Amino acid sequence: MSKKNRADDRTTRAAAAIEEQRRQERQRRNRMVGGVVAAILVVVLLGWLLTRSLDTSADVDAPAVGSEHGVTIGPDDAPNTVIIYEDFLCPFCAELEEQTRDDLDRLAEAGKVQVEYRPFELLGDLGDYSARSAGAFSIVLDLAGLEAAKSMHDLLFEHQPEESGPYLSDDELVDLAVESGATESDVRGPIESQDGAGWVAAATSSAGDAGVSSTPTIVLNGEVIQDGRTVEDLADNLIDELD
Amino acid sequence: VTAWVGVLLRLVVGSVWVVAGALKLPEPAQSVAAVRAFQLLPSGIVPTVGQLLPVIEVVVGLMLVLGLLTRAAAAASVLLLVAFIVGIASVWARGINIDCGCFGGGGANPDAASEYPWEIARDALLLAASTYLVWRPSTRLSLDSLLFRRTPLPEGS
Repeated sequence: MSKKNRADDRTTRAAAAIEEQRRQERQRRNRMVGGVVAAILVVVLLGWLLTRSLDTSADVDAPAVGSEHGVTIGPDDAPNTVIIYEDFLCPFCAELEEQTRDDLDRLAEAGKVQVEYRPFELLGDLGDYSARSAGAFSIVLDLAGLEAAKSMHDLLFEHQPEESGPYLSDDELVDLAVESGATESDVRGPIESQDGAGWVAAATSSAGDAGVSSTPTIVLNGEVIQDGRTVEDLADNLIDELD
Repeated sequence: VTAWVGVLLRLVVGSVWVVAGALKLPEPAQSVAAVRAFQLLPSGIVPTVGQLLPVIEVVVGLMLVLGLLTRAAAAASVLLLVAFIVGIASVWARGINIDCGCFGGGGANPDAASEYPWEIARDALLLAASTYLVWRPSTRLSLDSLLFRRTPLPEGS
């Protein structure tokens, strides 16, 4: 064996050792990256379990249809019950109303569903209209009966103001009440002095106790229904369930 | 100087994510409602998205602030921001007026149409910064440089 060959041999071995070291270095790095990624995934998973447990949007335990905090249509022996929590100032509620009212009226008439509309004050932060409108509704319910109250409910959504105002004046609320079938001399005083405030406060705390945190909240046979990408889909799915 | 540009962008984008996520974290029901208000995702996955989003925002934000797996975190930031811009542009185009719920809140907002352009501009700036970090993820003061530093090898021995 020549001197040159031995030298070559040494170089080869040294190169192999460096290569081995590089390989181990890469392995160590990959293991660390893998460990960090796994740790991050665990953190995300734990966080998700936490937010899932904090998410109460579907936990609504609503009192049965026929409460004193709403207006009910359809017979008591209907096979399905629907409760709709809503705020007269909430745009999505008005959209849902527009999409479902005729069908729900028809289905209630046909005895297929009993529906209770429960207005309450959700959007009190935006101004007094949420409470004033629900109060006017309660006054009509109290003084002119269920049928007038249902029609007051419908009219309040048809005449919904922008969330930012200008809101309907007391005179306009009185006009809607009269259009619904109430007697002006009966309702003007109570509407102007906001006699409905106590009813609204009770309806609102009842909704809060039931776990309702947004509007519209639809409870179909005791379960919150939220199926549908858009309000329109949601309305269609609700009607399909009932028809 | 350029070495510090990345650090600055990491801290800015990262802290925006941490704040945005932390504000939503205690109220997942609101976050779910905000996602739903976009009327964009199938209702079946809306709760999951609404619950996961705040967590992912905080985690991505912390990764950017700490400089941990910077390139991956910046890529996630890019994806989220693209999704948000698409979402806002979509509600704007459909004439739906909602609070984007970007920093908590959400739901209907009558003045939304005047806010959409600013929200998109803000997200576009954050998107640009995140894209830069995907391109140049190695920055000073990062956990990456501490954890994954290559051990110097003996050269030419």
